Amino acid sequence: MALSSESPVNRESREKITVQNVSRAYDSTQALEGVSLSVGEGEFCCIVGPSGCGKTTLLRAIAGLDDPDTGSILVGGDPVTGPGLDRGMVFQEYALFPWRTVRGNIRFGLDRPACGCPDCEARARELIELVGLDGFEDAYPKELSGGMKQRVGIARALTPDPEILLMDEPFGSVDARTRDRLHTELLDIWAQTEQTVVFVTHDIDEAVKLADRVVVMDAEPGMVQSTVSIDVERPRERTAHDFVEYVAQIRAELGEPEPR
Amino acid sequence: MSTRTDTRSDTPVAYGFEGNLRRYLRGLGGLIVFLLVWWVGAMLTQPSYLVPSPLDSVRAFIDLFATTTAIVVPVSGSSLVLPTGLAHLTETLFHYVPGLLFGAGGGIGLGLLMGWNGALDDWLRPLVRVLRPIPPLAWIVFAIVWFGIHHTGAAFIVFIGAFWINFYAAYGGVEGVAGDLTDAASTLGVERDLSMLKLVALPSAAPQVLTGFRTSIGRCWMIVVGAELFGAPGVGYEIINASNNLAMATSVAYMFLISLAFLCMDIGFRLFEGRVLAWR
Repeated sequence: MALSSESPVNRESREKITVQNVSRAYDSTQALEGVSLSVGEGEFCCIVGPSGCGKTTLLRAIAGLDDPDTGSILVGGDPVTGPGLDRGMVFQEYALFPWRTVRGNIRFGLDRPACGCPDCEARARELIELVGLDGFEDAYPKELSGGMKQRVGIARALTPDPEILLMDEPFGSVDARTRDRLHTELLDIWAQTEQTVVFVTHDIDEAVKLADRVVVMDAEPGMVQSTVSIDVERPRERTAHDFVEYVAQIRAELGEPEPR
Repeated sequence: MSTRTDTRSDTPVAYGFEGNLRRYLRGLGGLIVFLLVWWVGAMLTQPSYLVPSPLDSVRAFIDLFATTTAIVVPVSGSSLVLPTGLAHLTETLFHYVPGLLFGAGGGIGLGLLMGWNGALDDWLRPLVRVLRPIPPLAWIVFAIVWFGIHHTGAAFIVFIGAFWINFYAAYGGVEGVAGDLTDAASTLGVERDLSMLKLVALPSAAPQVLTGFRTSIGRCWMIVVGAELFGAPGVGYEIINASNNLAMATSVAYMFLISLAFLCMDIGFRLFEGRVLAWR
């Protein structure tokens, strides 16, 4: 066995998620075909691709919400057989429980039997603070803006203190300014929690802004086309030269024309 | 909130008040026109018992509370003396309330389970299709031969009426639970089916379940009066009893008593619903 040259400080050195040759068909469409992918521990990995490329299916399969037809998915070396508290999920349309307040939604994740928090109320407060929702503890989801709803969604996903955060186009329905702010906040949370993040988006700018590595997928059948490591210091500026270069490169891989 | 928004929002409130006032006045106008038509119709109709006048009806209504009647409390068998109108209303409630509660409980329970469990749904769906269209009152023959047409028989009819309305409300409510919500719950550690039903499906279906129950409150009043026309004691029986003596004004008084009882229950339940569903 060759000695590893990677330093132990490098969190990406260990594989956290391994997707091996996964295929999944729905009726007449091949959502995923022979997809293989690995995500390192603590890595921020974005999956981009056109609609219908199976990126959401792939994320749901990692979450254990969808069974692939063939292939296997390992998380921390163990095969995925269903949803688990080691993987938190943030949904595109928030999926908040409308009958529960902000605190109630967060408590939902804390009150499951698996939770071992000594003081759940304090932990809920801590999470509410982490996503900047102080003062809105008792608001119902209908009273919140899209951006605030997704903050609750993120806080709720963080409740079991998962090692992996799976995010399915989480900021797709919020306005551009709020999205920018949420990006910054998400990167802060990621820096604090040192989680592994898999983030699905169709927005190339968003992927380049956030990711350590961008996985580019192709549609019909859904497969991994290429992987691009983003080697830019954070915080990243959309107008910076290398940022623009990366975006152009990924756009070219996807076969999308340059926007005028 | 800025003061500017506050002053601006004053105007629609004022409009709203005027609009409401206009609506109330129109409603009052409708009632007055109805009373006039009724009055004139009663004056012109002979013999007079065919259409009792509004004034006679009001007098009959007041009379319902001027005399007292003793009724028997079921189960305990003790007797209870109440103003006549209230006494017969209480008799009705002795079979209306258990019929409604057990029917709603059973219907909601089965609806939730069938909506949630595919296998149970497969088993019972054809049976439900066959039994559902039978009007509750058609069961009166079995109510009579099984229980006799008294409180139990009437409660049985009400039970059937309440059962189906609540069954369909709960069934539809559970079927409509968003997949996103169950997905979210399962990533948060909800594993057992029963926990999912309790923590996600039931609260998510609550608006439909409560609407179903409110509908059944009204429907069961129709059914209970039907059952009493066959002889079970209560306000429905008193309607037909009074008309047998050609005391039609008393029949009208009991009709209004039913309307009043229903309105109180409906308003009460709407208030409860509004509180429980504040999140909507």
